Amino acid sequence: MKRKISHPAPSERELSGPKYWRSLEELADTPGFKAQLEREFPEGASELNGVDRRHFLKIMAASFALGGLGLAGCRRPEKYVLPYGKSIEGVIQGLPLYFATAMPLRKSAIPLLAETHQGRPTKLEGNPSYSPHGGGSTLLAQASVLDLYDPERATDHTHNGRKLNVADVNELLAKIGADHLAAGGAGLAFLAEESSSPTRTRLVAQLKAKFPRAIWAEYEPVTDEPPIGAARAAFGQNVKPIYRFANAKRVVSLDADFLRPDSGGLYFAREYAKGRRVTSKADAEKMSRLYVAESSFTLTGSMADHRLRLASSHMLALAAALAAKVTGSGRFSTLAAGLDVNPKWIDECAADLIANRGACVVVAGAHLPEQVHLIAYAINAFLGNIGSTVDFVRVAASDATSIHGLATAIGGGSVDTLVILGGNPAYNAPVDLDWKTLQKSVANVVRFGYYLDETSAISSAGVQLAAAHYLESWGDARTLDGTIVPVQPMILPLFGGLTELEVLARIIGVKPDPYALVYETITAMTGGDPEKAFRQFLHDGLLAGSAYPVVNVSYNDAQTAGQLADAPKFESLSKSNLEVRFITDYKMDDGRFANNGWLQECPDPITKISWENAILISPRLARELDIYPHGAVLQVARIEADAITGKENAHVLELTVNGRKVRGPVHIQPGLSNYTVVLALGYGRTKSGHIGTNAGFDAYALRTSASPAFVTGGTINVTDERVLLANSQAHWSMEGRDLVREANTDEYIENPTFVREVGMESETPSTIGEVGEAMTPAQRATLIPRGNSIYETPNVHTGGFNGVHQWGMSIDLNTCIGCNACVIACQAENNIPIVGRDQAIRGREMHWIRLDRYYSDGNIDGAAFGGEGNRSLPEDPQVSLQPVACMQCELAPCETVCPVNATAHDEEGLNAMAYNRCIGTRYCANNCPYKVRRFNYFDWNDRQLDSLYLGPLGPHGMPELVKMVKNPEVTIRMRGVMEKCTYCVQRIENGKIQHKVKVAQEGHPGDIVVPDGTIHTACQQACPVEAIVFGNILDPNSAVSKAKALGQDYSLLAYLNTRPRTTYLARLRNPNPRMPDYAAQPFSRAEHTRKNHPAGFHEEQPAGEIEGKKEGRG
Amino acid sequence: MSNIFPKSANKLPLQIVIYLCVLAGVVTAGATYYMTPSYTRVGYAPVQPVPYSHALHVGQLGLDCRYCHSNIEKSGYANLPTSQTCMNCHNQVKKDSPLLEIVRHSYETGEPVPWVKVHVVPDFVYFNHAIHVNRGVSCVECHGKINEMDVVTHAQSLSMGFCLDCHRNPAGRVREPADIYNLDSKPIAQTAGFAAAHKFLSDRNIKPPQTCTACHR
Repeated sequence: MKRKISHPAPSERELSGPKYWRSLEELADTPGFKAQLEREFPEGASELNGVDRRHFLKIMAASFALGGLGLAGCRRPEKYVLPYGKSIEGVIQGLPLYFATAMPLRKSAIPLLAETHQGRPTKLEGNPSYSPHGGGSTLLAQASVLDLYDPERATDHTHNGRKLNVADVNELLAKIGADHLAAGGAGLAFLAEESSSPTRTRLVAQLKAKFPRAIWAEYEPVTDEPPIGAARAAFGQNVKPIYRFANAKRVVSLDADFLRPDSGGLYFAREYAKGRRVTSKADAEKMSRLYVAESSFTLTGSMADHRLRLASSHMLALAAALAAKVTGSGRFSTLAAGLDVNPKWIDECAADLIANRGACVVVAGAHLPEQVHLIAYAINAFLGNIGSTVDFVRVAASDATSIHGLATAIGGGSVDTLVILGGNPAYNAPVDLDWKTLQKSVANVVRFGYYLDETSAISSAGVQLAAAHYLESWGDARTLDGTIVPVQPMILPLFGGLTELEVLARIIGVKPDPYALVYETITAMTGGDPEKAFRQFLHDGLLAGSAYPVVNVSYNDAQTAGQLADAPKFESLSKSNLEVRFITDYKMDDGRFANNGWLQECPDPITKISWENAILISPRLARELDIYPHGAVLQVARIEADAITGKENAHVLELTVNGRKVRGPVHIQPGLSNYTVVLALGYGRTKSGHIGTNAGFDAYALRTSASPAFVTGGTINVTDERVLLANSQAHWSMEGRDLVREANTDEYIENPTFVREVGMESETPSTIGEVGEAMTPAQRATLIPRGNSIYETPNVHTGGFNGVHQWGMSIDLNTCIGCNACVIACQAENNIPIVGRDQAIRGREMHWIRLDRYYSDGNIDGAAFGGEGNRSLPEDPQVSLQPVACMQCELAPCETVCPVNATAHDEEGLNAMAYNRCIGTRYCANNCPYKVRRFNYFDWNDRQLDSLYLGPLGPHGMPELVKMVKNPEVTIRMRGVMEKCTYCVQRIENGKIQHKVKVAQEGHPGDIVVPDGTIHTACQQACPVEAIVFGNILDPNSAVSKAKALGQDYSLLAYLNTRPRTTYLARLRNPNPRMPDYAAQPFSRAEHTRKNHPAGFHEEQPAGEIEGKKEGRG
Repeated sequence: MSNIFPKSANKLPLQIVIYLCVLAGVVTAGATYYMTPSYTRVGYAPVQPVPYSHALHVGQLGLDCRYCHSNIEKSGYANLPTSQTCMNCHNQVKKDSPLLEIVRHSYETGEPVPWVKVHVVPDFVYFNHAIHVNRGVSCVECHGKINEMDVVTHAQSLSMGFCLDCHRNPAGRVREPADIYNLDSKPIAQTAGFAAAHKFLSDRNIKPPQTCTACHR
């Protein structure tokens, strides 16, 4: 609105003075001029095509403003759909394709099915067609898919730093062969990894025929199979043992970690579980018994019914003592001299073996000296076990040179061209060989490897060839029992990598097509139509009937006597003469997986340390070194404890053996043999990408050719330095609580529902009330009985739990071996990120399923009753393992506290998590009593793990290559949202959808209930021993319903009235009452009884007679 | 002290509160109307690289949906046809048309035709086509009368509310299996009545999930 400005009236002088005008019109003072003056702008300027100027601007301003609010101006960006040019047979977009392949590792392989999405493999499963594995897989197999998409893998072929193209490489390889042909291969040497591939064996034979003077050497730093020399001496044949644990009632393990699935043990674990699984009293009566003597704490040791801590160097003496008792023969007794073991232990063990002759087995660790194996074979032969619990199969004798032979040849100057095929000898060769100098001294080195690692770095001026991953390669391999399995590529080599077969073929000068080579090998073994046979081979993922033949063997006493006389002498150990044991790490293997983030972050199954290795010492040694933690350090973070805000604060030690030294953090490991120091191999890499480099310390620095598995003469020097360790479970004690419920088999036989007398809910009225107790499990799952709760429960009438399936899970703690395959399978399936060492120390690791490991030694006199209350680390504990994932509680405490209802229950019993709704309050994780919820504190996917705290200023962006491993069926979570196990909801939904589509197309669309066994969660599918069972609890015949109907089924923390859908089957132990370390109750149970019934506990009273009210179950 | 503010200033706090309430109301209403999928998505009809007309091919020539979108009965993802599918006819029909040059080039070289995606739901929504077309939901319920569209237009909002409307009350929207791909057909509720529609649902045990796991993983 214009303001009226009152100007003063013109003065007399202005009115009478000269008048100025600007135009004639003004002077004329025409009416037109007056009108023009009144208008602010000239004619036509204020109107545009009939639109008033002001009006026009108003409209423009308005639409501009509104456009800025997100309408036409802010349309979402255009997305494109890019179909193929030509159609591809068999590809259905949105559905994955599965192909059979195998993961080769040293002398065996694990048959796999690879799930591929849009041409790239995202998940590996075991191949169910191979019945010894039954579809199970291992930790390393599950993690190997990540290696394919490692941005730090070798991507170029180079020579002296200059990139080579394909033609150059082919020419170079052909030249190697051509150059050495005249001399018959003199001067040419190969150093390769062990392989079970029949095609490679064939090629090597051709190589040797064409280049008879070339050296073919094979080297692996660790060994999975017993030394063949022992079998040759004992039986006169090249055979190896395959144990049939399902037939064994009594198993004695001499430092043998046979349950470790990756070293060919998947079959053993599965068979062993058959002897332990209990579904009835009859099973319990037939349950097997495991005696383990070991120096480190392995998973096999954690399953033992009787465990003896003994140094690995004393295993020979123990084997001899046992053999002397079993056979009664005197020829072994000299070797047993010096053994410091309770003789009754050996006597009763031997008596138990004799009582079960033909149904028992003695297994010696592959790393032990030949003599131990000879004795073990002798015991097995004497007891008639051969043919029932152990079979010997004929294997081909390897005539490859050892690395020592090669080193001698190089040292003698007779090698001018060295082709290193895989492996990493600069990192893991025996330290006394000084391989680095040897390799440098060779004139031409061709290094064929997957990474640019320590070995590549030494010969950077030589030829570096990038290898292909096994998921990009054609090849073949043999499993533990000799069955031939294919290695099929899922994707063309991403970076033009070569396969080993191709490199060899080019050097030899045969047709370098790996597919054709494998085709030739396989079709030569099959009859009939070769095309059809090969297709069948690729389809099945195995060649039926190709296993190693079982042969009859008989033990040759005379031959072995000489070998036994040659045995190493007994040495007693002390603080100044420590035994140093080198173990193949569960996750890093021999170091090849150092740059695999999933494996680095996966906590070691027993120590629970991730991202590095530690020097493991026994509590006794810790006392003697005066570094024993005060205040039960590793249990809880008490004020006086050796921890900083709950993080393990480890001393740094220097370990010296024969003049060589390593330096690393110490972790006091309960259950170690007193003077054995355990070092895990595979860490301390110096050239391994940003994940693997400088993770841990290098134990290979102490390892010589004479003592690859253990060496004596170690001393320890404690330094002043301290480091924090990323220990994901510092709290090792159950403190007498009923988390893992255990009993001996005799208690179970007498009282199959003993779990109802254990735990809080045995002392209280049932949480589901009498009404609930009377219901069937199916009714409980849908009606959700209220019990004595003051709150109403959701049920069918209020609109919940009315799905046609109700999902549930049962985890059998009796068979779970703690291998961690489920942890990595879940990580692969659900796009779970890694968080890095720094965040892992803060406890922020993202694994949806964790494996809890508890030690118990029976001593828990509660502090309230004047006892010590768990203030010392147990020297000789029992280990209890428990996989814990989201329980999908029917009355979930997390759901009621979410302010935005991001976590809600679905009709089929799942606790659903809607990531897009979550605002990151974290109250749900706070309220979860099982602590299974994981929060994305940072954007683990988009940000670099070493610059998380820079926030938006840090580098961001996920490399395209790493994105390829993600499973497209599962959302990738951003910073600020909560996540947790979903029972693999994507698999459940896809399973239900596929079933409904199938029945609709078959014409009976009403049968929408999915048959049992169709849907497997990732953890269930990976588990080698089928400890995890998942299915529909509305179906009384489903496997999961049957498992939950067993007497030993219980819920974790049931008294909290959460009604978890995942329940556990209690652990049963089968100790021998005559053994000196017999305990009437498992230690964890004894702790529970002592804590909860301190007055009623008596040493002599067997289980079951302890006072306690039986008042129903939770 | 004299009064700093005029008496009319006493009404100011109330005016401010009313103004803010009205502003909040207007913003909410504006956002609800203009910024929700039913406004932002409906009517979206982008220009495609090849002026493919469903009205011609489906409406007039009578191609079945599944001829091109071949995997909707098996897979969650409704695929677009490969250039090979187009060339099945167009290597004879209009084989020199300049409008189809992109398709011919794609068939020769394998380079995909860059179709603009019309129906886009957020990444955290996992919609599965196969389960819907096999269980009585026709294409027309969500995509509208494609057989009358020269340019594919986004017909329905495809918001979560839109999905839940049907999931909570499917009876009015299901069709016999034979009518699924007939975009001019009517739902059972209109041809045979609601009783028949309810029987269809109960015969097939159609209880569409209404909880998070149906679409969110």
